[in-house]
Amino acid sequence: MEGATAKGVLSHLSLLEVQARSRKTQPQQSSRAKELKARREALMTQRDQLRAEIQTHKNLQKLRASMDKQHPHEEEGEMDEDSENSQLLRLMARHAQLKDLLYAHHIIGGYNVIKTRQGKGLCVSLATAYEGVYLETYNLEMDLKPTLRISRHNIPPFIPLNRLAEQNNMQKDMRMFLDTLNQHLNAFAGRKQQLKFVKELHTSVEVMESNALCSILVMMFTVPREKTPVLCTLDYTDHTRCLPTRVHFDCEDKELSHSPEWKKNCSLLQQTPVHKALITMRKMGNIV
Amino acid sequence: MDDSMKRLLQRLIRRIPTQMLRTTLDKWGRLTVAQQQSMDFTQPKWALTEQLLSMCEEHKWTVKHITELEMIYVIDNPNQGMWYAFQLMDPEDDAHSVELTQFKEQFKCHLSELVRHVSVKMKKHTDEAVWIRIAWGDSFSGPNHLKPTYVVHHLQTPYVFVTSLTSKQKPLLYQALVLATRYQAIKDANLSGRKLTDIRDLLMRQYQQVFPTKYPSPLAERNQIVSNPNIEREHAKSAENRLQMACEAFGEGMLPQLQSAVYKLETKFRDPTNKTMTEREEPFRCVVKFESTNLLESLKHCASSGISSTPVTPLLSSIPLKGRNYFVITDNVPGPSSQTHQPQN
Repeated sequence: MEGATAKGVLSHLSLLEVQARSRKTQPQQSSRAKELKARREALMTQRDQLRAEIQTHKNLQKLRASMDKQHPHEEEGEMDEDSENSQLLRLMARHAQLKDLLYAHHIIGGYNVIKTRQGKGLCVSLATAYEGVYLETYNLEMDLKPTLRISRHNIPPFIPLNRLAEQNNMQKDMRMFLDTLNQHLNAFAGRKQQLKFVKELHTSVEVMESNALCSILVMMFTVPREKTPVLCTLDYTDHTRCLPTRVHFDCEDKELSHSPEWKKNCSLLQQTPVHKALITMRKMGNIV
Repeated sequence: MDDSMKRLLQRLIRRIPTQMLRTTLDKWGRLTVAQQQSMDFTQPKWALTEQLLSMCEEHKWTVKHITELEMIYVIDNPNQGMWYAFQLMDPEDDAHSVELTQFKEQFKCHLSELVRHVSVKMKKHTDEAVWIRIAWGDSFSGPNHLKPTYVVHHLQTPYVFVTSLTSKQKPLLYQALVLATRYQAIKDANLSGRKLTDIRDLLMRQYQQVFPTKYPSPLAERNQIVSNPNIEREHAKSAENRLQMACEAFGEGMLPQLQSAVYKLETKFRDPTNKTMTEREEPFRCVVKFESTNLLESLKHCASSGISSTPVTPLLSSIPLKGRNYFVITDNVPGPSSQTHQPQN
């Protein structure tokens, strides 16, 4: 590793050592002239190489520009060079285009996949977000050989990773597996965020029960005037959604849950995220 | 007030350090305001104990109340004693929808069926953890409150953390847990430590892990030592590589504190210079134990400073990866992937 860097005291010392050794084997007089000639040759080949690279890049840019304008499946008849060269250039242009597409995908919050361990593994990053705010990023490190296998991850244990991998046939359809996992993670992040908002913004509402997966939420409301407590249970049985599948009210006053106001509240809680629903309920004067 | 209760209270007050006594008693909330104010915490412990004993007579507190106080203290100070992790296996279909009341009822019910006299207290903590205090009795004697077992479980996760459990009580606890959580089996997770919060963080992956990424987040901080521009670090690149590999193996920031890692070797002796030992058929039994106040931090530093070679050997990186600190190494497998059912605790 030290030999690869052109800087540093030790590498310079080793360079001098090599030079001293080589100087011992060569005759002194013609060595200087020969050295300079060799150096000139090397510089000339380098210059030719660089020139060729610049030319390739220029062609590539032209090709990229034409590719971006056209539909990718259309035939391109503009480049009129010999077939091998243009094929290669087209491949390089397509490669650059795909890289940019991947970067754009990453910026809008898609998965980020990179190769690790010289192609023997890969690492997938799944970003979660709720209401336009980025939350946690989860990662999966996978081995590609001998079989596709998850080796390391930071996904919490209440997300059933192995079950999802089996059900979605991770070996054959990686995309499906990642999409489902992404759904679960984003829904979990969303529910967790909602719980956080309820605790922070609605201090008059007491959170009686919640769990690590945020799949159940039990809150205590207080009805104004009579000050009767109402126990509200939200069940999120579909773990891929941020909204509850079941809303239930418990109250001493048996009539309350059948009243039209509270029936409205029931459907409100099923259709709007809980922290927003509570704001509406407060405005309507249903809860303190 | 009988002797056993007196002893229980005395033991408890002796256990709680004086500076925590006030907050614990406040949280308990069973003293009147006047009594709270009358307690002088600069007094020696025996004096405080006497005061509380007299209050106990006054209020007619029972063992139930005192165990309540004990539980409050233990929940607030969980990093004492030795905690062992267990893992539930093979969930039934409805394991994911087990909710708190159901779990509580089922657990109490099943354990009472298994043990004649048992006292179970359950409490839900704010971080979604369910705390269970079990005082074991048998057909002849009532529950022994001086040696309770504490169990911590997070619903919808397969992990259970236990302290102060004897081998006789273990199968009974196992049975009750398996039935109450709707799983099919439970096994030793081979992870133990003094700090409950840390072994829990390790298993629930609540610490900062490092993954290879093309676009590191803008807030990613490393140990950027601000150096003099005239000083050049000769092996800067290799040091950075080592640090990266150490971070990927163990994590970043505050690592969960483990106190030890034990490797039980059942491999054959291999040394070409020692014929006598190498010729033996049986494996060379040996136990290697690493101890530290913060084991993962020490191992990470070994790797990043170059004392141990990088990439980090799977024997060491398995500790955070598999979440265990007890391994049995046999010849058949190259890494520490074999497990045993009766580890030395």
